[in-house]
Amino acid sequence: MSRGHGWWLLAPALALLTVVFVVPVGMMVPMSVRPYVPLVGITGGVTARHYVKLLTDSYYLEIIGRTLALGLTVTVATLVIGYPLAFFLARTRSRWRNWLTILVVFPLLLNLVVRTFGWIALLAQNGLVNQALQALGLVEQPVKLLFNFAGLLIGLTHIFLPFMVLVLIGAIQNIPRDVEDAARVLGASWGSAFLRVTLPLSAPGILSGSILVFVLTISALVTPRLLGGPTYQVMSTLIYDEFLARLNWPAGSAQSLLLTVMVLALVYLSGRLARRTGARV
Amino acid sequence: MSAAAPALAVRRLRKSFGAVVAVDDVSLEAAAGEFVSLLGPSGCGKSTLLRMVAGLVEPDDGQVVLAGEDITRVAVHRRNLGLVFQSYALFPHMTVFDNVAFGLRRRGVAAAELHPRVERMLQLVRLGPLGARYPRELSGGQQQRVALARALVTEPRVLLLDEPLSNLDALLRDEMRVEVKRLQERLGTTMIFVTHDQAEALILSDRVVVMEGGRVEQIGRPEEVYRRPATAFVARFLGRANFLAGTVAEAGAVTVVRLDGGLSVVAPSRAGLPPGQPVHVAIRQEAIRIEAVSSAAGAGRVGEASKPNAFVVTVVFHAFAGQAHHYVVQLPDGRELEVAAPGAALPLPRGASARVQWSPEDVIVLPGAVPSGVAG
Repeated sequence: MSRGHGWWLLAPALALLTVVFVVPVGMMVPMSVRPYVPLVGITGGVTARHYVKLLTDSYYLEIIGRTLALGLTVTVATLVIGYPLAFFLARTRSRWRNWLTILVVFPLLLNLVVRTFGWIALLAQNGLVNQALQALGLVEQPVKLLFNFAGLLIGLTHIFLPFMVLVLIGAIQNIPRDVEDAARVLGASWGSAFLRVTLPLSAPGILSGSILVFVLTISALVTPRLLGGPTYQVMSTLIYDEFLARLNWPAGSAQSLLLTVMVLALVYLSGRLARRTGARV
Repeated sequence: MSAAAPALAVRRLRKSFGAVVAVDDVSLEAAAGEFVSLLGPSGCGKSTLLRMVAGLVEPDDGQVVLAGEDITRVAVHRRNLGLVFQSYALFPHMTVFDNVAFGLRRRGVAAAELHPRVERMLQLVRLGPLGARYPRELSGGQQQRVALARALVTEPRVLLLDEPLSNLDALLRDEMRVEVKRLQERLGTTMIFVTHDQAEALILSDRVVVMEGGRVEQIGRPEEVYRRPATAFVARFLGRANFLAGTVAEAGAVTVVRLDGGLSVVAPSRAGLPPGQPVHVAIRQEAIRIEAVSSAAGAGRVGEASKPNAFVVTVVFHAFAGQAHHYVVQLPDGRELEVAAPGAALPLPRGASARVQWSPEDVIVLPGAVPSGVAG
């Protein structure tokens, strides 16, 4: 088989990607530089106004910052909660192992809206969590867990945890036990062997799991909308409102393009990072 | 700690996984500087035994004693042993230098001392200029040399090797055998070497421990286990042998065994085998000499020759394997023997008459019936 043949295998995927991704995004580029006059609509001409506003107005900057902070904290939270879980599932010889793995994936099988309403019931002013906290005497007044950062963090961490765990299980299972045993025989305590051998060797999994969760988080719409309410905005809900509530398609396009660029930049940078660490693994 | 204490002693070690007994009441000792092989088929418990010595598997019962000190409950990383794996188990994210330096760094060896020690060890395993490479940039043989260097640089009290050569191709394996033996002689390290390859065990070892089903079948010098196997399993596992069932007919200056087919085999005298005792004899393929006879002249006469263990046979199969001719010959009573004759000899054609003969010293007499799964 000549080398050129393999590229044809990519054709269906490339065609699909072109239709559903490249073309729509391309169409947004001219839209994002059209002027928008309130009560009139989209007018002719070219303007950089939407971009300037997006990158200078403190309202928008706060939303961008909040989106990135949310992405980062959800990633860290799923990593911190998910790594021990994945490590256990990757290493246990228990016959419950498959059931436990299914339990991890189970949240993915539930409808997103149902799951999110569940969290509203739990996190509300007089929800289960606050009732429990007050009954235990841990807090006097109900804690605000809804329509703010905490609510979004809790809800999104829950939803994206399975992705992180599944990616990490694969990565940890790929580390040969002999390599860890070798470290311990050579004089490394369990903790030292973990830090110097297991953790570095699971780095590719940590990286891909983190990218996955980060990208999913900053582009999530339903959960931030339901747990954040109409006023606590992130970029995806902002874009949604811009297009469908305010009908300001040019501003919405500019915001969409910024989000897309952020995601692509992240994927590119992490790809480079993976190549650098991957060169050694 | 007395000077006389063996470098390593294993006392009545036992381990089972669920219902499977992997290691069953095994005791053995290795003197300082000794090279001891644990030889047996896969699943005989030799690797589990090694891992219990290393501390990676916790024994159910028994003791591991290192130079007089009971280390059965000592944590893996405090045992100061070396372990070389079949899979090499190098750290893929570290350079060769860092791999070798790992154990020294864990022991807090200062950089000034660490550098020359690692370099010297890399020289010793002939990897001097490759310190900056990563393991995946090396060949299998080189990787296993890194593993050896990594295990030896900390000057372990005992070096454990778990089938270290099994992943290498045949040519490289021969080379690495020499390398391992050379290192052992040079450094004087006590080595426990797990293998399923009988030739490897015989070539390398001062003593061989033959294991089967979690138990020790025999411990002895290579010639001992080869020439005087204690059990049928050892006779069968170390080199190919012909097994023939019979009963002891005479027990005196020599042991005479009357085979079931009526022929008699003369063997060295052996205590504990009274006349009438059912036994089986094992004769190694290469211990049998074979020569052509002209069927017309020889047949009747040679069968009655005064030499013991001489029989006229018919060649029923022949194959040439370079170093040796492999024959299957038929005895007068119809039973077949496998014979390995030097490759330089002229081949005997199928159907030819031949005379086989072997010395009484080459006959191994084992009590009991022929073990199952062994061709008579």
